[in-house]
Amino acid sequence: MAEVVLEHIEKIYPNTEPKKKKKPKKGQPAEPEKKSNLKITDEGVVAVEDFNLKVADREFVVLVGPSGCGKSTTLRMVAGLESITRGTLTIDGVEMNDVAPKDRDIAMVFQNYALYPHMTVRDNLAFPLKLRKVDPAEINKKVEEAAQILGITQFLDRKPKALSGGQRQRVAIGRAIVREPKVLLMDEPLSNLDAKLRNQMRAEIIKLRQRINTTFMYVTHDQTEAMTLGDRIVIMKDGIVQQIGTPQDVYDHPANIFVSGFIGVPQMNYFNADLKKDGDTYSVLVEGVTIELPEDKQQRLRENGVEAQPITLGARPEHVSIYDGKGDQSHMLSGVVDVSEMMGSEVHLHLNVDGQDVIVIVPTTDVNFTFEKGALDVGKTVKFTFSGAVVHLFSKETEENLEYKNQEQHTFDL
Amino acid sequence: MAEKAKGGLEAESKGLIVLSVILAIICIIWVLPMVAVVINSFKLNTFVKTETFALPTAESFAGWDNFIKGVTLGNYNFWLATWYSAFITIASSALILLFTSMAAWYIARVDSIFCKVVYFLCIFSMVVPFQMVMFTLSRTATQLHLDTPWTIPIIYLGFGAGLAIFMFVGFVKSIPLEIEEAAAIDGCSPVRTFFNVDVPMLRPTMISVGILEIMWVWNDYLLPYLVLDVEKYRTIPIFIQYLKGSYGTVDLGATMALILLAIIPVIVFYLCAQKYIIEGVAAGAVKG
Repeated sequence: MAEVVLEHIEKIYPNTEPKKKKKPKKGQPAEPEKKSNLKITDEGVVAVEDFNLKVADREFVVLVGPSGCGKSTTLRMVAGLESITRGTLTIDGVEMNDVAPKDRDIAMVFQNYALYPHMTVRDNLAFPLKLRKVDPAEINKKVEEAAQILGITQFLDRKPKALSGGQRQRVAIGRAIVREPKVLLMDEPLSNLDAKLRNQMRAEIIKLRQRINTTFMYVTHDQTEAMTLGDRIVIMKDGIVQQIGTPQDVYDHPANIFVSGFIGVPQMNYFNADLKKDGDTYSVLVEGVTIELPEDKQQRLRENGVEAQPITLGARPEHVSIYDGKGDQSHMLSGVVDVSEMMGSEVHLHLNVDGQDVIVIVPTTDVNFTFEKGALDVGKTVKFTFSGAVVHLFSKETEENLEYKNQEQHTFDL
Repeated sequence: MAEKAKGGLEAESKGLIVLSVILAIICIIWVLPMVAVVINSFKLNTFVKTETFALPTAESFAGWDNFIKGVTLGNYNFWLATWYSAFITIASSALILLFTSMAAWYIARVDSIFCKVVYFLCIFSMVVPFQMVMFTLSRTATQLHLDTPWTIPIIYLGFGAGLAIFMFVGFVKSIPLEIEEAAAIDGCSPVRTFFNVDVPMLRPTMISVGILEIMWVWNDYLLPYLVLDVEKYRTIPIFIQYLKGSYGTVDLGATMALILLAIIPVIVFYLCAQKYIIEGVAAGAVKG
């Protein structure tokens, strides 16, 4: 149980010697150089840039982003496995920058379990307590408790190699919780498990969180895990924090195009559009169709002093509605059904709108009962629209959300 | 199609038979000297030269006489030589295992030019033949007072380090770093991480390296012969070399018997330890 504060944390990997370029073989073109989007300064490659976060006591914070975005590096800096180039890390008010990992009172669960192969499950769980010279009776009690919580009591005398992936990960979590650390760090703990087991373990982590009162920092590249587990989500890209907020917040108000695309499955649809301003009233023109914006959006745009400009309009697949033949169809866009994916309770339609792929989610019941038979088949032209209340307006130039561009999105604390 | 497959299988099995025959011949050639040693150690001296590969007959069978003669013959105590051999072998192997595993761990885990240089020096030392350095070495050893059985393990450590470090570095690199990081978070200091976490995982490599070093040191003749004062200290190979009767005659039966005695401990050790070499101890530690 502890508060973790990261202030202006930076991680820079010093420049190493430039590797000799391989000479291309005769008749073959030279390999193109791989380019990383990470910032490179005189000091080296900036893996994490100006990271600010205050994790409250017992909060569950999830760091999410594509690979190479610096989320694991940040977690490893909290664990003490990576040095901090700049900035201050405090746990419970104590600066931890130069404290050894073992003295930070943290525990960590690794993606590949990192169990001690020569020890039984019981010894694996007891190892951190033995190192802290806890009384053997107490160790036994705590190991039994942790095994009980995680349902691994029957495996206590087995070696890790005799366990399945899910069981091994439980042991790894058990080893982390057995000594009741102030902060529990998890680095993609479910990435090695198959889809079914991952869902199951995700639910167990939620239950675990209710049982043990500690602060969690969790790294994942999976937005579903981030949305379901986190009290707050930190979305990162190229070493820079893009947005910090509750799952609902980042879903409803993405700070920029990257966040809007990263959070939500299937991905948000984007359209080239024009933001029109008529006096104090804004509207959006997309594919020749005008979309009216509700008053709260108008208000925010006015407050930000947004001018008329070409924009990228975002609409989530679940917010796009297909015209069912009833009512006015003058404000409708149209597209041809390219692919129809049956997902069970819903159908994902991929529409071709002027060469652009637009995904629409339609409940299966609607496909069967609301629409005429065959109306949504591949090759059919359908009309669709979306409400002005749920669209997202992004600047073409900066890719930032025009409604929230002047707000402090890199929230230090909610 | 099926016929073609059948033909392919037949050709393959014929190839296997040819290969088996060739390998069997090589095996026989390989084992022949061993067989000769075993047979001749039970034969009377006169028959060793004349009927080298014949099994002992009622006429040529010597029983345990050769062994008794071998142990008691000569002006040096056989058991003292055994004690020196055993001490030098065990001490040298222990030193090599302890120091080279630690050095290899450092070399594998610390990415610096110093480590790379040390590593390449170790590999380089493997290709330098002993004969190239032996005279300067024996002189240096005398100057540094390393010419006793108690200090010769230090010289063995130097000569054994190359191969041992090469083998250990390869294995340490295959141990996932996360296990050591987990240990660091759980509360281990680097030294403790090495002894509590890495050494148990290194066991198969330790046993492999141990077997190689023990066989080498136990059987080594040249190094102790050059370095030690052979009047005072003899290992078993030197003892066998000095096994001469009066007027310089060599009792071949007794020599064979002693050679057999000398190789038995190594073979027993190898048989006891071989199951650990096969055992993959890191299985199940991490995904993959």
